[in-house]
Amino acid sequence: MSSYYLAAAGGGGNLFLIPNATFFVELVIFLIVLAVVWRYAVPPVKRAMDERRNMVRRQIEESQQASKRLAEAEARYSQALADARVEAAKIRETARADAQEIKDEMRHQAEQEVARIRERGEEQLAHQREQIIRDMRSELGNLAVTLASRIVGESVADDARRAGTVDRFLDELHGMAGADSSSRGTASPSNSSTDSAGDGVVTARNGRRRR
Amino acid sequence: MTSELFAAAEGGNVQVGEHPQWHILGLTINADTVISTGIAALIVMAFALYLARTATGKVPTRLQLIFETVTEQVERQVESNLGIRTAPFVVPLAITLFFFILIANWLAVLPHAWEEYIRPPTADVNLTFAMAIFVMILVWITGIRVKGRHYFKHFIEPYPVLLPLNLVEELTKPITLSLRLFGNILAGTVMVSVLALMPAFVQWLPTSAWKLFDLFIGLLQALIFALLTILYFAFAAAPQEEGTH
Repeated sequence: MSSYYLAAAGGGGNLFLIPNATFFVELVIFLIVLAVVWRYAVPPVKRAMDERRNMVRRQIEESQQASKRLAEAEARYSQALADARVEAAKIRETARADAQEIKDEMRHQAEQEVARIRERGEEQLAHQREQIIRDMRSELGNLAVTLASRIVGESVADDARRAGTVDRFLDELHGMAGADSSSRGTASPSNSSTDSAGDGVVTARNGRRRR
Repeated sequence: MTSELFAAAEGGNVQVGEHPQWHILGLTINADTVISTGIAALIVMAFALYLARTATGKVPTRLQLIFETVTEQVERQVESNLGIRTAPFVVPLAITLFFFILIANWLAVLPHAWEEYIRPPTADVNLTFAMAIFVMILVWITGIRVKGRHYFKHFIEPYPVLLPLNLVEELTKPITLSLRLFGNILAGTVMVSVLALMPAFVQWLPTSAWKLFDLFIGLLQALIFALLTILYFAFAAAPQEEGTH
């Protein structure tokens, strides 16, 4: 060890600031290291860095796209929901209108039916009345004449007079029937002479009307 | 204690800047520096080749992460100061300088017993001069190639009278660049030698503490060397001249 120091001892104290031939050896070693790092280490690492950077960028883009798609899907969903609500409201509205229409229709039909039934009833009534009057016209005369001839004892067989009497009676009856709706009480005493037959007809008619 | 230390140092036990030497063909070569430089170079190259094989764009190893961090910082510095397109080779140069100097400096933590042959090679001016002069020659070449004749204009700015000063400043750059690194690392080894004069039962504590601090200094000096390299390139070749400093 001391021999090495002896070799340097002659140079004095500041020898170590002066470079010697070691300089060139060092330079060569450094250049070799530089070449190796430059040639072998830097390119793959840079490539790896670029690759990772691209991957991150791609992932960011993908996540942005995904969130955009999500937003679109949400928009579509709410749009569909709103459409469905509108549709439902429309259907409800239509149903209500239909129901109203059907109700009106049915009411109209019922009214027509009622009117028709009433009309027919009235017709029937009028018909029956005609019938009764015709019957009475034929029978009442005979009956009354028979009755009267028995009571009075005189022959009322004279056709002309008899017909006149019966007609007069029937006219009265008719007139009474025309005013009968006002009251039965007034009609009843006025023709007490014709008694229960006419009275019964009027009563029956009144009763049927009321029903 | 202190007086004893100084006495011991004066007595010749602490050697500063002494190297075991080889004499080949009349040339003097510092054996320890060459050996330790070779070791540092082998370590850096091994890392580089390992990286070349394992570098991946997917899940990087820690070594790759470290390398990528340095690469990114260097690229950012070069881009902001100089523009990578102006001088793309500055990036690998600065990366190599950083890692090589870092490993070389950190050889200082190896045990004291080996120190005769494996001292940090940056504690020898030969390595630091080699790197600094190589860098400065590249800087000057780049400046002239990028700017042509206009490169020389900055020597007479702001006034032609300052030409000598500007020349001195330019020539000082490699000297300061190399001696800053050399001085810091040499001081570290000298400090270890001085601490070695203490009795063995106490010296372990300050020596360990100092070597930890030396790691930090080694990192800092590697960083400064690489950063200043980039800045010198920037001064020489940046699109617009930022002054003569």
